[in-house]
Amino acid sequence: MAALRIVLRDLKRLIRNPVRTALLFALPLMLAGIFTLVFGGDGGDGISIRVLVYDEDDGIVSRLLQGVGSAPEMDQKLELVPVGVEGFEMMERGEASALVHLPAGFSKTFLDGEPTTIQLLKNPAERFLPQVVEEGVGIGAEILSEGSRIFRPELETIGKLLDSKVFPADLAVAGIASGVNAKLRGLDKWLFPPVIDLETITITSPDTDAANGGGILAFFLPGLAMMGVLFLAQNATRDILQDRESGLLRHLLTAPVSPGDYLMGKCLSVLVVTVLGFVFLIGIGSLAGVDWGSPLNTAALILAASLGATGTLLLIMSLVGTERQGDALSTIVIMVWCLVGGAFFPLSQMPSFLESVSKSTLVYWAVDGFQKTLQTGAGLAEILPNLLILTGFGMGFLLIGAFVLRRRMAQGVL
Amino acid sequence: MIKIEGLQKSYGEIKAVDGIDLEVHDGEIFGLLGPNGAGKTTTISMISGVLKPDAGRVTIDDADIWLEPKKVKRSLGVVPQEIAVYEDLTARDNLSFWGSLHALRGKNLRGRIDDALGRVGLADRADSLVKTFSGGMKRRLNLCMGLLHRPKFLLLDEPTVGIDPQARLSILEIVREVAGAGTTVLYTTHYMEEAQELCDRIAIIDHGKILTIGTLDELTRQSGEGEVLKLIGSFDEMTATRFLSGVPGVKLLRVMEDTAMVSVRTDGPGLLAVLPSILESDLTIDDVSIQKPSLQSVFISLTGRELRD
Repeated sequence: MAALRIVLRDLKRLIRNPVRTALLFALPLMLAGIFTLVFGGDGGDGISIRVLVYDEDDGIVSRLLQGVGSAPEMDQKLELVPVGVEGFEMMERGEASALVHLPAGFSKTFLDGEPTTIQLLKNPAERFLPQVVEEGVGIGAEILSEGSRIFRPELETIGKLLDSKVFPADLAVAGIASGVNAKLRGLDKWLFPPVIDLETITITSPDTDAANGGGILAFFLPGLAMMGVLFLAQNATRDILQDRESGLLRHLLTAPVSPGDYLMGKCLSVLVVTVLGFVFLIGIGSLAGVDWGSPLNTAALILAASLGATGTLLLIMSLVGTERQGDALSTIVIMVWCLVGGAFFPLSQMPSFLESVSKSTLVYWAVDGFQKTLQTGAGLAEILPNLLILTGFGMGFLLIGAFVLRRRMAQGVL
Repeated sequence: MIKIEGLQKSYGEIKAVDGIDLEVHDGEIFGLLGPNGAGKTTTISMISGVLKPDAGRVTIDDADIWLEPKKVKRSLGVVPQEIAVYEDLTARDNLSFWGSLHALRGKNLRGRIDDALGRVGLADRADSLVKTFSGGMKRRLNLCMGLLHRPKFLLLDEPTVGIDPQARLSILEIVREVAGAGTTVLYTTHYMEEAQELCDRIAIIDHGKILTIGTLDELTRQSGEGEVLKLIGSFDEMTATRFLSGVPGVKLLRVMEDTAMVSVRTDGPGLLAVLPSILESDLTIDDVSIQKPSLQSVFISLTGRELRD
């Protein structure tokens, strides 16, 4: 019963400190909000890439290339901004992901069949978007090169017609059309249908249809919620060291409360606080449109991850001497776990050796469990390994931490 | 009765408590007087079952604190030296939590809280957060928590440290009231005046050992000290020490700068006989005051130094 009294007291302390409690929840929510805004709202609009185009050529080919970039299907993904020489200064200021420079005489050189160059400047401050532009420009250059080789005579004719001062005769235009048509007929075997037909199929089911809500927020929130819960557990377990340093623990033990009662109370208290924290953050996600999928999976993951967080922080606090040491060590562990555990970045973006390191963190198993449920509508059986690892390590850490603290209390160190 | 037998506790090489034997009788206020670091808090921690002794035994009403901790702790109220209250809770919340640990519930608990807060003069601040309290108010709340369950035995560990004289008087008055109602009080302090005014019996503790136990009269008699002469004049320490050590019937307590203190031995020729021989000596004495024997002189007599050292 004394343990339950301690739980109630701790909950009352949270209620009596609404500002401090709110601040504890603010960090993950703030980060989730920032990530969501940075990476594209709810995920529906995707990411728009800003590319500066410095077209010194202003010829038929350069305008053709810009026309492709401005096609309706590209319009929302790609923002092409025509610039002059000031584009280089804009790049210095980091105002775009890349600058494409089409030199003077580009179209003529191309139509003449001579080698020519497209210059690409990338923004070094951005990691992914300039690479996308580079890939796109590379593909464009490849197409132009192959087109130049196959349609060489026709392109030469087009070049001459453009150079002449008179409007082209019908026969000349018909000749070009006929030549192109003949080439295409020759390529019919490969082009219609193409050798490789890429068909994208998204496997859908009623479960996954429901599970894909929330876009980018759904991607980040599980990890950030886990981080928030770890910080909540840090705050709650820190009480043990505060109680010791303030003399409250010694005072408490003069009442009919055993060290075991106290530790059980504190563990339960931390667990309750972390579960409530998780429920709150998940609830906020739901309000923002994230569909967490199976309620059973979510509940099981919340419990298991909360137990993992409670055990981890209790173990850390049992190993340190002072509140300051506890704060420093636990903050390092939480931040490293969140960084390598996939709370901030998708694991696929990390070097392969980090993936194995990642699996040694409870953050990974929590995030992975939530993502399986969210993204693929996994059932309870599929997240069972995650649940077992979170629960097993959580319980293990909890027991070791409680044992160490109990021993230190008996020695009068705590 | 609180009975302590052969209590010992060491921290590495340091013997914090070195074989203490004590008996605190029912209904008395027993003072444990000693300088900082003498072993008072360690002793209280072992009596209250927080710290396990290396050796020795503590029984309270014949029950061993380590064998029947919950039973004993139900009859025990402890007021620690630190202000051990939750600052982010109200006074009522603190007392409510504390009372619930002592199995107080509902109307009974609410009544006790109101009563206890009224007794220490905090009734009007019952629902204020403790962090808004002054040091003296926190001390009174600290005391309140020890009294809430109306314990048979009350252990107070330097409860007046760091507070203003008014709050100190208020706490001493509450302790007297509680003791008057039949509670047995064990009171540790390094303030001699408190021990002198409050306690029925006093034990002087230093370096983890009890030096002497008794009533104030018994202690002064035991030490063989009579009146204390405080001499102020123009003399150097060496000359004064050499001369006063040789005067028959007095004991030199201390010489420091222009002040010397001697006690008149009860088994000697007496104050009227020794005073002229001191005044007619070569020492230039400007002022003489005569003090009644006190715990201060007893302590100096036992340890050779003042309590505040």
